Amino acid sequence: MPSGGVSGYAAIHSRVRVMYSGLLSSEEEVGLTEATDLPALVSSLKNTVYGPYLDRIDEKELDDRKVVSQIKHRISDVYLTVIHSAPANTRSLVIQLFRHFEIDNLKAVLRGIANNSSWQQVQDVLFPLGSLNILPAQQMLESGNIEAAIALLSNTPYHETLTFALKRYSDEQSLFPLEVALDLSYWRKLWASVNQLPGQDHAQALRVIGPLVDLNNIMWALRYRVYHRLSEEEVINYTLPFGYKVHDEDIRTIAAGADVGRVVERLYPGVSNLDALLLDPERGLPKLELQLQRRLIAQFKSVFTGYPFNISLPLAFVLLNELELQDLTVLIGAKSTQMPSEKFSSYLLMETNLDKTAIV
Amino acid sequence: MFFPQEMTELEIIVPEKDLLPVTNVLARQGVFHQVDSSYLSSHAEGKVGESWKERASAYAALERQIMVTMQALAVEDGNPPSDQATLIKLEAVRPLVEQIEQDVKNTNDVLTSSTKKMEELQNHIRQLLPIADIDIDISLLQNPRYVFSMLGIMPAANLDRLETSLSRIPYVLLPLQKDRENVIVWLTGSQRNADILERAARSAYLNPFELTDIHKGTPSEIIKTLNRNIEDLEKNIETQKARIGQLHATYEHQLQTLLWRVRTSRLLADAMGHYGKLQYTYVVVGWVPSSKLETLAQELKKASANILIDSNPFRRLGMQNQHIPVSLQNPGILGAFQGLVTTYGRPRYEELDPTILMAITFPLLFGAMFGDVGHGLVLALFGLLLASRKVPALRSMSGLGIVVAACGFSATLFGFLYGSIFGYEDVLKAIWIQPIHHIIQILAIAIGGGIVLLSFGFLINIYNAWRARDWARLFFDPNGVAGLTLYWSLLGFAAASFIQSFPVPKLVFMILAIIGGLAVMFSELLKHLVEGHRPLFEGGVGMFLFQSAVELFEKLISFLSNSLSYVRVGAFAVAHAGLSSAFFILAALVGPDKGMGYWVTLVIGNIFIVGFEGLIVGIQTMRLEYYEFFSKFFIGGGMPYAPLTPLPTGEE
Repeated sequence: MPSGGVSGYAAIHSRVRVMYSGLLSSEEEVGLTEATDLPALVSSLKNTVYGPYLDRIDEKELDDRKVVSQIKHRISDVYLTVIHSAPANTRSLVIQLFRHFEIDNLKAVLRGIANNSSWQQVQDVLFPLGSLNILPAQQMLESGNIEAAIALLSNTPYHETLTFALKRYSDEQSLFPLEVALDLSYWRKLWASVNQLPGQDHAQALRVIGPLVDLNNIMWALRYRVYHRLSEEEVINYTLPFGYKVHDEDIRTIAAGADVGRVVERLYPGVSNLDALLLDPERGLPKLELQLQRRLIAQFKSVFTGYPFNISLPLAFVLLNELELQDLTVLIGAKSTQMPSEKFSSYLLMETNLDKTAIV
Repeated sequence: MFFPQEMTELEIIVPEKDLLPVTNVLARQGVFHQVDSSYLSSHAEGKVGESWKERASAYAALERQIMVTMQALAVEDGNPPSDQATLIKLEAVRPLVEQIEQDVKNTNDVLTSSTKKMEELQNHIRQLLPIADIDIDISLLQNPRYVFSMLGIMPAANLDRLETSLSRIPYVLLPLQKDRENVIVWLTGSQRNADILERAARSAYLNPFELTDIHKGTPSEIIKTLNRNIEDLEKNIETQKARIGQLHATYEHQLQTLLWRVRTSRLLADAMGHYGKLQYTYVVVGWVPSSKLETLAQELKKASANILIDSNPFRRLGMQNQHIPVSLQNPGILGAFQGLVTTYGRPRYEELDPTILMAITFPLLFGAMFGDVGHGLVLALFGLLLASRKVPALRSMSGLGIVVAACGFSATLFGFLYGSIFGYEDVLKAIWIQPIHHIIQILAIAIGGGIVLLSFGFLINIYNAWRARDWARLFFDPNGVAGLTLYWSLLGFAAASFIQSFPVPKLVFMILAIIGGLAVMFSELLKHLVEGHRPLFEGGVGMFLFQSAVELFEKLISFLSNSLSYVRVGAFAVAHAGLSSAFFILAALVGPDKGMGYWVTLVIGNIFIVGFEGLIVGIQTMRLEYYEFFSKFFIGGGMPYAPLTPLPTGEE
């Protein structure tokens, strides 16, 4: 595989372009939101790229967990295709990006241990990582305690991180320090993977990964400060010192107790109803995150109109798939409980819903 | 030797009172392959079977308990007792097992806690080593009145962030020792800011060292004290280990006896759990080698006067034999090669057991590729050493010893034929041919040998098909008469084309090739026709014809590739001599005057050849056997014969 340039990206570019056409169209999204219940939603989804995956479910055993699980398989396959087609020097970045599903799996297993969940319960929420999986998830869960589970990770990159955080878990009996440690380690490694890329690939990868890092970092800072009411030093230690448009000074300003609304307004001009959202952080912060995610979608889609022979195109594509998964998960949950559309539509990222969600 | 043992199906009706003696006989004889007949139980009686299964579980739990205790005392399983197997009473044995377990546990607990304590102290020392040179009393850092002080370790990646988080207060953060992942730091500041410092440290995952009362004095003084404590603990650990040794001696025999008694009881109870239970009798179903039937029946009648035995011998012909267990009977040296066969697959009941073929062809092919008197003898001696089980580290490979030795002797024989000894091609006179000097001839001979072996494979397949009364396979299988006709007629055509005075005209072979080719091409259709299977083919005619043509093409390619595959036998014979001469050149470069360097290089070279080339040749031989030869005739998939026995031993 050539390392980059037109020759290096020709194959992956064509492949991503073909797969890009498989993302849900506006008409399909409208059809899905209008489905009356879960079977109707699944029936509509069967006419899309998710069809072959949903065909694997026996219609008599149809439920929301099985549908979400199959859709995750599709996203996993998309990632694995991109990883295998990516030029060698960028592959570690795409793999690292994919690893956040593994972090989620790890958190799910740790929560399962803390809540004495069965393997079946935990297995249902795990993301299928295919050949890239390195977690002995079932063994961990069956070990029955957090310390023993972490010991089972001795040959993985998570062992060192979790071992440090384990003392705090023992003292506080809360998974929070373990999860924060995992998150920080993940994003630092992702950032390092971006910085290892040469020239044009580095600049273009920053265009995609940068806003993603910014969004996560600002949301962490807001949640820690507004929702969890953590101290300045804790907010600083639990956030990242780097970013694309959101810089360390911005995070430190939030941590120090400045007017959060003004900082967000400066960084993301035009966010609607910001003050109202921050007044009720429990419901407002998820909605603010949705607004910022919609901006991310626009940024990712803009990548497809520029010079295509760099890593930004595959990265944007897999991330668009992830955001589509997020929407489908909301829809599947809503349709399985036959929730009226006005109750869930504001939690969707879909373009068809943009007009409605502008009014929070 | 050529076929699995003939088996007889047994159905035994046992009166309830004779259940245990009969089970004992069945287990002790070690020839009865039990089949689960618990489904024959009536609903109410079925619970009896369940209770046997529960007892088997209870025995299994006790067995595990004994094994854990034995493991703690490093006691091995020992040999099974030779007397008659009986069911022991759980209530009688359990207290004894628990008493021994408790005795061992007490000592083991002290040993474990001492070991843990020692590890803790060693950990303290590791923590203190980076600051061993600092000449201050560490105890001053504990509970200071005006100064906040924390000594600990944290992820190096968090260091900068910790400093940032403390930027609004005065503090001192000294990295004392840093590597790629971790950093040992000393954080200090005003006691007034203790809350902020503590929160910042905690959120940066700074894990403070646990400074306890033992941490008095300078770091180097503390290390000395800890080392003394470790010495005391080491003495205690030695004492406990000696105690474990005493317990080992005291309980070894008792534990081994208990283990085998409980194990035997578990196996008997498990067997009885799989009997069918009628009102006053039990139904036992299974298989026994026909040659052992009479002895078994006599023993059973001795154990129970009212026993009913119904036997039904099965001939090793016909196709419906997959449910019959397959017992292979290969004595002595052949037994070693049986493992190579069963690794590929177990023959079916009616199928030829290819062990003897493996025992002949495997060493033959290996020797032809590795022909060298010296290397062969070294390999043979190594094989005999493995088989002798005299080297404990090699015991796990003892099963391969005979195979390695046979390959070694074969290589020695070919070494004489090739005139090669330890790579020297000019010391011995070649009885037959020197591969390095007759490359084309040896390659041609190898292909010729391959053709003979493949043809033999076809013939065995035809014979196996006849035994299975599988006429469709016999005539129309690509490895049956049709395939063999095609293969031989193609060879004949080639021979007639190249040899002017060949006695048979090309036209004859051409006609035979067309007939054979058509039969192979429409093999599936013809098989369905003979078997009365409908539809004759799936899908449309066009698709069927296309598929058949592709299959014929694929078969022709495989005939060619299978035959040419044997060229490697000749190629390795040449390569062996070539590799040896390469080491001679190397040796001459290292020691032009034939000094020590020369001989050391030669010895290393010869070790490399025997080890590395020997391994590669072994793999290639295995490939030729499995993929080229066995695939022509061997179906496999037979059910393993697993006789009931009070001892958990392997089948063959």
